[in-house]
Amino acid sequence: MQNMEVVFHLSTPIALGFPWIFFDSLLAHIMIKEEKGERCYSLPSKLPSVEIPRPPLKYWRDVAVASVSIIEPDTGYQIFPFFKRGDYPFPRGKIRRGSGFFKDFYLKAVYVPAQRVRFYATGELDEVARLCRKVSSLGKERNIGFGFVRRVEIREVEGEWGLVKDGLAMRPIPIRYLKSYEDSAFTAYKIPYWARESVDLCCIPFTRVEILG
Amino acid sequence: MKYLDKCDWLARWREYFLAWYDEGKVDEKAEEAREFSKQYLDSGVVSVSGGKDSMVMLHILSAVKPNLHVFHWDHGPWLMPREIEEEILRNIRLTAPKARLTVEQYRFGWSEKARYDWKPWYRAFFSTLKTLTEELGLKYHLLGVRMEESLRRRSRGRVVEKRFWVEVHPVYYFTWRDIWAYIFKHNVPVPRFYLTYAKTLGWSNVRLTTFHDREFERYGQPTVDGVLMWRFKRQKPHF
Repeated sequence: MQNMEVVFHLSTPIALGFPWIFFDSLLAHIMIKEEKGERCYSLPSKLPSVEIPRPPLKYWRDVAVASVSIIEPDTGYQIFPFFKRGDYPFPRGKIRRGSGFFKDFYLKAVYVPAQRVRFYATGELDEVARLCRKVSSLGKERNIGFGFVRRVEIREVEGEWGLVKDGLAMRPIPIRYLKSYEDSAFTAYKIPYWARESVDLCCIPFTRVEILG
Repeated sequence: MKYLDKCDWLARWREYFLAWYDEGKVDEKAEEAREFSKQYLDSGVVSVSGGKDSMVMLHILSAVKPNLHVFHWDHGPWLMPREIEEEILRNIRLTAPKARLTVEQYRFGWSEKARYDWKPWYRAFFSTLKTLTEELGLKYHLLGVRMEESLRRRSRGRVVEKRFWVEVHPVYYFTWRDIWAYIFKHNVPVPRFYLTYAKTLGWSNVRLTTFHDREFERYGQPTVDGVLMWRFKRQKPHF
């Protein structure tokens, strides 16, 4: 297990649905796509039933030693409003575009015009590097051009900064694993991040914490 | 509203809106709204969501009749975070301290399902309001609807006959600039989250809606809430 820093250099701004991207979930997503291919998008039910693989990362208790995204430079959020209109072959006759299958959407993408996204993690460097090279884009709304990755840099670093760096939490850590913390909120801290079973009262990334020995 | 003086960005906008207050003759519009609403206040209930439009309306109307009937709908913790709900109630009491305030709670809002199924909301809201107006013997329902907001609202008119009451819109002719100008001029308290949203979305587009609500998915609102109001995306798990 090596400590590493992963930097994704972006060619387009990154759109977000949550203030941070989780590195362990990114790796798990790539692993599922590797295993299932395009089938991972056509699931038998609304609830994903695939077993989520464990990323090649070090774990401290049940928390992956992998930071959330550090977006650089942090220029603040911007809004990109756009229409999502059906462009499939419409059936003959009258159709409703205000509701139902052909409904139009007026959406908003929150984006950051960033140049780099940095992660810190501890794990199997070669395997992580192999997975990271498969990441072509990051964040939301990738289908309309957000978050394209130009290149990825992975290098070994001296410290284990996936959990805490310079006294600051680098990811949500449940407060039951902490000696002291500055701020807390209910948030998911392990994969799958969409599941309510992963939610706990956690410290907030980039706030001051002290973890239990 | 002391927090409104804290940053430069806000100070500049404050200056702009205060200038607009005179230029846009907002004072005259407020006076016109006051005169127009007088006839409806004695047998009317004022619905206040706590958003900018309804707070301006409440400020204008409470000057005419301090002990007016105010109705506020509490959406529940899954749709409206408790911090914001408490702030809204504080603001209402501060703006109209003598008002007869009725707060009704949406029981379904205590469940996560309220974010995905919004149909019971309409039923619960209108049946509660109907009961209230019947109990109090009120005929008019005053709302902070503005003409500028949508074509549908523009075509609705200022006074609308409904099945159980007559809907009246005192601030119907106010624009978004007028509303913000009035807020800055009279220090009308509005929830703080407006500033976060105004900075990203713009003052013209910022609105008080329920948070992380799939009802507004077609406007992309849950995506914006996911980033700006991420703290309230998850609640204490109930399992």
